[in-house]
Amino acid sequence: MTFGSFLSDRLGRIILWSACFAAAALFLFATGTQTGVLIILLLILLPIFLTVQAWDYIRRRSRLTELESILENLDEKYLFTECVPAADSLYERCLFDLMRRAGQAMISAVSDAKAAQREYREYVESWVHEVKAPITAARLVCRQLDGQSRRKLEYELAQIETHIERALFYARADSPECDCVIRQILLSEIVSQTVENHRTLLLQNGIRIETQGLDCQVFTDKKWAVFILGQLLQNAARYHGENPVITISAKPLGTQTQLTVRDNGIGIPAHELPRVFDRGFTGSNGRARGGATGMGLYLCKKLSGFLNLDIRLTSEEGAGTCAALMFPSKGNLSKL
Amino acid sequence: MQKIMIIEDDPMVRDELALLLDNEGYEPLPVTDFGTIADQAIQKHPDLILLDIGLPGQDGFLLCAALRKTVSAPVIFVTSRDSGLDEVRALSLGGDDYITKPYSVPVLLARIRAVLRRSGGTSEHTDTLEAAGVRLSLTKGTLASAEKTVELTRNELQIMACLMAHTGQIVSRADLLDALWDSQIYIDDNTLSVNMTRLRGKLAELGLPDLIRTRRGMGYQL
Repeated sequence: MTFGSFLSDRLGRIILWSACFAAAALFLFATGTQTGVLIILLLILLPIFLTVQAWDYIRRRSRLTELESILENLDEKYLFTECVPAADSLYERCLFDLMRRAGQAMISAVSDAKAAQREYREYVESWVHEVKAPITAARLVCRQLDGQSRRKLEYELAQIETHIERALFYARADSPECDCVIRQILLSEIVSQTVENHRTLLLQNGIRIETQGLDCQVFTDKKWAVFILGQLLQNAARYHGENPVITISAKPLGTQTQLTVRDNGIGIPAHELPRVFDRGFTGSNGRARGGATGMGLYLCKKLSGFLNLDIRLTSEEGAGTCAALMFPSKGNLSKL
Repeated sequence: MQKIMIIEDDPMVRDELALLLDNEGYEPLPVTDFGTIADQAIQKHPDLILLDIGLPGQDGFLLCAALRKTVSAPVIFVTSRDSGLDEVRALSLGGDDYITKPYSVPVLLARIRAVLRRSGGTSEHTDTLEAAGVRLSLTKGTLASAEKTVELTRNELQIMACLMAHTGQIVSRADLLDALWDSQIYIDDNTLSVNMTRLRGKLAELGLPDLIRTRRGMGYQL
């Protein structure tokens, strides 16, 4: 609130008072009061009037500053009305009361929404756990079938599982702290678990996996890292070219370890590259081949944020794609 | 025969798992009465227990703690709950391993073998395979005929082991790739051809160039 805006807000009141002063002066003058007395009266009344206005301005400004700083310091801004100080006037009390009622409606709406979201997440999680039992049974039954149809069914089952995994991690992504257990783990363990999880897809596409330098300890949550790496592997397997090879390698970089997944697949057009991590973005390759959800890399980006992994993607159309994940690894500190 | 107790509430999974373990040469002990698990475990002396965490009316974690007091058999948790905290809790309660559903069957079998080996149960895992006049030593990585011995690489060893385990049967290329992937050797079809040619070369050194026959369109046969 500037002094100018305060004055323009008060303009009507100031004009009214001035008119009253003028009318009173005119009345006194008409009833025979001396001009000198009038001037003295005016010299007394005018400073009092101006002081009252200035004092009002300062008081209101400091009040506003106080309220603003309360709002600034709140994490949940909508709780403001619960934190305001006692009202200093009748008008303010009524105003605060209105705000409080509006705020309470808002708070209950927010907490309802939060509860609904939590229930939904819990339902998705329990649903995922339930659906895993029949999939396990189907896998065991598959084992007794002969080669070709078994492999086809296993491939389809693996597809179902990857969709389910994505749903589960999507539901978890909003409150990751419930689920993460960060500990020291060998990169090779993460990689072999991931390759094992996606073996049917990789085998079906005739992909060779080459690994190098994976004997590094990193600090991360195994399950989440396996999920992220799994999305990268699935992409590499799905968009493969001739004689597909996926190279998974690691090298220490300062206090971190960089894990690279490089393929010799069809690559991503340069103009689509900045958007690959967007939610629901499928790109020309995804649309051409079908089956793309636009969720894989979006989830990778989101989850890697929680795990402090820096994820980067470079690609050359027709030559292949390279995804790099930076893992924190304190083990490297000793070498520095 | 080693006895494996299956504590699992989904009847389909339980039956199929029992069948699988039976085929793999174990004696499965599926549990259907979940009220008296501890007593059944004491009676039947299993060599290994596969335990589902989400049992009807009971907590698998508490059950594991109870079993730990009475039975010495190692426990593998098999569960669809896959949160990291569950895993830590399972292992701290005396579980020997933790596998999440849906598991891949080779992985489950490998984990079972590993836990049984660690627990010192008499492993029936053989070190040498003999078939068609050759002897394969899995630990030394050598293949020997009556008069000569050659060394094999890891890939060649796994291919030979797979063929010898199915002597007389046709083994398809896809089956061979599966077997190699089970042993964490991730190769593609072309690499398999290369390894096959090398393996045949080594067999020729042993004086058995035609030991592995190619059955066109079907696979290989020893």
